[in-house]
Amino acid sequence: MTASDPRLQVRLGRRTLRNPVLTASGTCGYGPEYDHLLDYGQLGGFTTKSVTRHERPGNEPQRVAEVPGGLLNAIGLANVGLERFLAEKVPFIETMPTEVLVNVAGYTIEDYVVVCEAVDRVECLAGIELNVSCPNVSDGLMFGTDPGLLKEVVSAVRAVVTRGTLLVKLSPNVTDIASLARAAVEGGADGLSLINTYVGLSIDVERRRPVLANVTGGLSGPAILPLALYNVHRVYREVCADRGIPILGMGGIQNARDAVAFLLAGASAVAIGTALFVDPTAPVKIAEGIAAYLDQHGFASVSELRGQLQL
Amino acid sequence: MVWSRKFICTRMTASRTTPICSLPARVTRVDHVCREHVIVTAESDQLPPSQPGQFLQLQCRDTLATDPSIHAWGPQTWPRLNLLDQTGPPILLRRPFSIADRADDGTANRFSVISRAIGPGTRWLDRLEAGMELNVTGPLGRGYALPDPDQTALLVGGGVGIPPLLYLARTLHERGHRDVRVLFGVQTHDLLPVRLSDDLPTNGHATPCLRLPGEASFPALVATDDGSAGFAGRVTDALRALHALEGDRWRRPVICTCGPEPMLKAVAAASRAMGSDCQVCLERFMGCGLGTCLSCVVRVHAPDQEKGWRWALSCQEGPVFERDRVLDYDG
Ligand SMILES: Cc1cc2nc3c(=O)[nH]c(=O)nc-3n(C[C@H](O)[C@H](O)[C@H](O)COP(=O)(O)OP(=O)(O)OC[C@H]3O[C@@H](n4cnc5c(N)ncnc54)[C@H](O)[C@@H]3O)c2cc1C
Ligand SMILES: Cc1cc2nc3c(=O)[nH]c(=O)nc-3n(C[C@H](O)[C@H](O)[C@H](O)COP(=O)(O)O)c2cc1C
Ligand code: FES
Repeated sequence: MTASDPRLQVRLGRRTLRNPVLTASGTCGYGPEYDHLLDYGQLGGFTTKSVTRHERPGNEPQRVAEVPGGLLNAIGLANVGLERFLAEKVPFIETMPTEVLVNVAGYTIEDYVVVCEAVDRVECLAGIELNVSCPNVSDGLMFGTDPGLLKEVVSAVRAVVTRGTLLVKLSPNVTDIASLARAAVEGGADGLSLINTYVGLSIDVERRRPVLANVTGGLSGPAILPLALYNVHRVYREVCADRGIPILGMGGIQNARDAVAFLLAGASAVAIGTALFVDPTAPVKIAEGIAAYLDQHGFASVSELRGQLQL
Repeated sequence: MVWSRKFICTRMTASRTTPICSLPARVTRVDHVCREHVIVTAESDQLPPSQPGQFLQLQCRDTLATDPSIHAWGPQTWPRLNLLDQTGPPILLRRPFSIADRADDGTANRFSVISRAIGPGTRWLDRLEAGMELNVTGPLGRGYALPDPDQTALLVGGGVGIPPLLYLARTLHERGHRDVRVLFGVQTHDLLPVRLSDDLPTNGHATPCLRLPGEASFPALVATDDGSAGFAGRVTDALRALHALEGDRWRRPVICTCGPEPMLKAVAAASRAMGSDCQVCLERFMGCGLGTCLSCVVRVHAPDQEKGWRWALSCQEGPVFERDRVLDYDG
């Protein structure tokens, strides 16, 4: 029973993954950080930290705070920018024995197109996860909250992403996530990543100040698990099931039990974020736990679990 | 300080080794050394070599409750929490602690940390008992660059900044460093997480002394803010007083310091006035300790950057920095 058990193979968009467990963007760097700690040969896939067109230094500290059951972060999309990503990070990624998705963020449609076009040309990159939902940077939110604009940016990106898989990562900070999921699919997305973090606030009452320098931050970790499951469940039923669009589910997954719940709700694969900070090998252990679940419950393959929630 | 004489020399490595993650260690000893402080000593067989100034990320909760794999499915395998985990809110992230001591023998790596109980994670450590399991990731970060054996080393610690300096003192002793002076500052006498010896001096030092295994002892000066023990005043005042008294006998003094931010800045300023090198250990909020969460940033000089500085991750490039690299510490 290993993370490479053939029963664990899944399709995600245009690619086949060794198993359904990936790392989530922003919690695993660009690859070298967990080298020697996490065996990438046992991972379903890897998602890089967001890459933007230009380098970004990120926010002032304090950038992260622990809150009950979760984590609030306002990193501010700190990243090396497209040019340095290609020059300094891709050479290592080339050696990683797993499917690598590049998370791309931007502030204008042109930003997205420039970065995605360059990334799509790099053979060792399996695809793109379009971050239209980062709640930390003031105008980053708008692409992920307006269906018309979302469809526009996804179509523009789809036109230049001809080789790799294109996933669109949605923000849960909206009233009707299904309408945004529909817009992304109509724009040409191969799949959806659900969900990014929830906007939150933590206050230091002694100092009467926000804990984070950015005031607000994105909430992740076990606290958001039921909320994330609900979003996956809803988008799967209302948008994805009929169209055969896969969902990469994430939000608060800590163990195989949580991961199986996402698969039952309709996800084809799952990503592990905050839990990596506690144990970078968690994805491998979770993949093994899913294989054990298949044995115990008599399923022949992991894709049989998808959407099997009995109502 | 409880230094076990059974310990033999720790091997020193010049370069950093790869850390190990989620290593189960067995708590062998818990010593409530003073008010609010506990020394937790644990052992495992796999902790990679470490350097003074490096830290460990401790999972301050029961590991059974958090096993990601859950191999055997069924109600009987629901995680059973031990009593410690039913007494407070769940603790998600690991907590960083400086290594306070390290010693290896043939089969076991023994290490200790000293924790001051200030919140849920440190209170969890405070309730540990010998025989319990402690889950460790580390050693992490970059420690102190060890001074040459012929240099005068001044170890200046404040409050919870004292632990890494104990490990440093031990390492310097093992390397045959003779002129080491220890200055510890605390708010009041019963917050000093070290037991100083008031034995008659064996090597000409004035008491009290920080006793290390074997016959070695280093002169230790304690400063208390309220004057309840030792020097009445701040540790930086004690440092200046000591420098005025005998500084002309010091050879190329180098200061290694750790403690609260205002103290570190004062020590950095004093070291500059004394003309000595200084390494500061910065305790920033750390989400992961592994270089991925980007929470632990410190501004460092970067002449090649337009703005003249860049963010450095203190879990990777630190927590120990050379004084003049860090903005706000460089005068
Ligand atoms: C490299 C490093 C080495 C450290 N070594 C030691 C040590 O040897 N002994 C020791 O007692 N403590 C040490 N600390 C501080 C220790 O990590 C915090 O006290 C601990 O994380 C608090 O956890 P908690 O759950 O008890 O409290 P929390 O409720 O998490 O925090 C209580 C208070 O402590 C502050 N705090 C939280 N995390 C940190 C942090 N990482 N650094 C500083 N303040 C923090 C919070 O802002 C809050 O005000 C070290 C910190 C770092 C970064
Ligand atoms: C510190 C941190 C940084 C993150 N950075 C990014 C990012 O750069 N881009 C992105 O799309 N999502 C980012 N995320 C969101 C995660 O990829 C994930 O969607 C979210 O945290 C929910 O999963 P989790 O609860 O397992 O962490 C970040 C999350 C955290 C905790
Ligand atoms: S603590 Fe996470 S990057 Fe330094």
